[in-house]
Amino acid sequence: MIYYIPITILLLALSFVFQEFMPAIEWAYYARPLLIHATFFCLAVTVPYPIMLVLAFLGGYAYDARYHVALQGTGSADSAELAFGLTILLFGLMGSFVQGVRPLFRRGRWELPVIMVGICTMVTLTFEYSIISFRRGGLDLSPEIWFKMLMSSLFSMIAAPLLLILLTYIAKATGYRIKLQGINRNYNYGNSL
Amino acid sequence: MSRINIIALIAFVGVLVWVFLFGQGTVQRVQQGAMSVFGPIIGSADKVEEIVGEPSALDLMSKGEIRAQMEVLERENQKMKLEILKLDEIASENNALRRALNYVQNSPLELVPARVVSRKGATWYNTLIIDKGEDANIRLDSPVIIPVGEDAGLVGKVSQVGRNTAVILLLADEMCMVSSRILGTTEQGILSGQRGALRSMPSLNLKYLSKDAVIASGKTVISSGAGGVFPPNLLLGTITDFKQGPINGEASVKPAVNFDVLENVFVVLGERQEPEEDA
Repeated sequence: MIYYIPITILLLALSFVFQEFMPAIEWAYYARPLLIHATFFCLAVTVPYPIMLVLAFLGGYAYDARYHVALQGTGSADSAELAFGLTILLFGLMGSFVQGVRPLFRRGRWELPVIMVGICTMVTLTFEYSIISFRRGGLDLSPEIWFKMLMSSLFSMIAAPLLLILLTYIAKATGYRIKLQGINRNYNYGNSL
Repeated sequence: MSRINIIALIAFVGVLVWVFLFGQGTVQRVQQGAMSVFGPIIGSADKVEEIVGEPSALDLMSKGEIRAQMEVLERENQKMKLEILKLDEIASENNALRRALNYVQNSPLELVPARVVSRKGATWYNTLIIDKGEDANIRLDSPVIIPVGEDAGLVGKVSQVGRNTAVILLLADEMCMVSSRILGTTEQGILSGQRGALRSMPSLNLKYLSKDAVIASGKTVISSGAGGVFPPNLLLGTITDFKQGPINGEASVKPAVNFDVLENVFVVLGERQEPEEDA
């Protein structure tokens, strides 16, 4: 536990570096793998709730600091469509959602956590796009938009199994075990009941 | 839910509210810091992409011994082709820089040349990053242009400034709105790009034209200068289509600038101040 938590923070920081190397796929309407999202959602499956919230704050804050488009100079002071801090909120909400599949992951079942990474990425993107549409006063839900969101989610989902394998190895190496409230026994990663 | 989870959740909500209450200046400072941290990574990521994207002579190597001789020749051939391509590239870069230099010297605007270091932007916005920022006196909303023939074509405007980097919101984005007019007519409107950053070269929309206007394809669209953000007479594009609506007309515009091939751009700092001559 002592070593695992700092490593998760380090992994989240590394995902920001790797994200810069992620290419935008032209045929998918410039969708790209959202590695930061995938890393956070995978980490959220493995850590306790308070630590997940800390990761949501750190990840969301750094994400907005790097990718937030403020449009400050457009005339009004509050012209940013996606508020600074929105990613923290979305990470917190989706992280809480993902925490629900921790028992499955504890049993070594990775299918649902991987699918959850895709679903959470899709929900995050849909939420952001809905806010943008609302702020611009017109909902433009073209097939291209859906395709872009879907492909971004799928690309992120592809990264999820690799991240979960990595986390399993790190957990084993550091002797970290999942603990669930209300359950007295501790379980190792990958050990089925 | 355990007590520690409830405390963590309350603390999280508190911190979230604190972040949501950040003023524009605070957000700007945070982003400046982030751009300073990410700047070197962004630059190296772009370089790696360039290297990976370049065709390599190794791509042609085969494992079979019988075809070894042919492979050597093919490799040499490829190498020479690449050298020719490189020379062509250098020549065209040289020409582009020469044109740019001429443009800077003759332009009535005070310009800062900058290099595009990354095209990777936010998910929903058409942006790119340049290698000049606050240290070069670049400010928010500064227009960004490139020479297009003898004129200046609008690329976009600065939406975020770091110490040595700046994010440009491209004209291809719906949020980059430019007050425009159609040359040879009295028609004026608002030009903007498309939502969602789905394409790098989208068709632009020129809105709020007169519904009874007769606008032929091929007409040139330039900035009107209204609003004060963009200087007048910047080249924006050419009309490709015009539709009359119930209230006003709307035209499709092909951008004058090719956003796909941007390498060097100019940030407009303002009107050039001519030194006063002593009488």
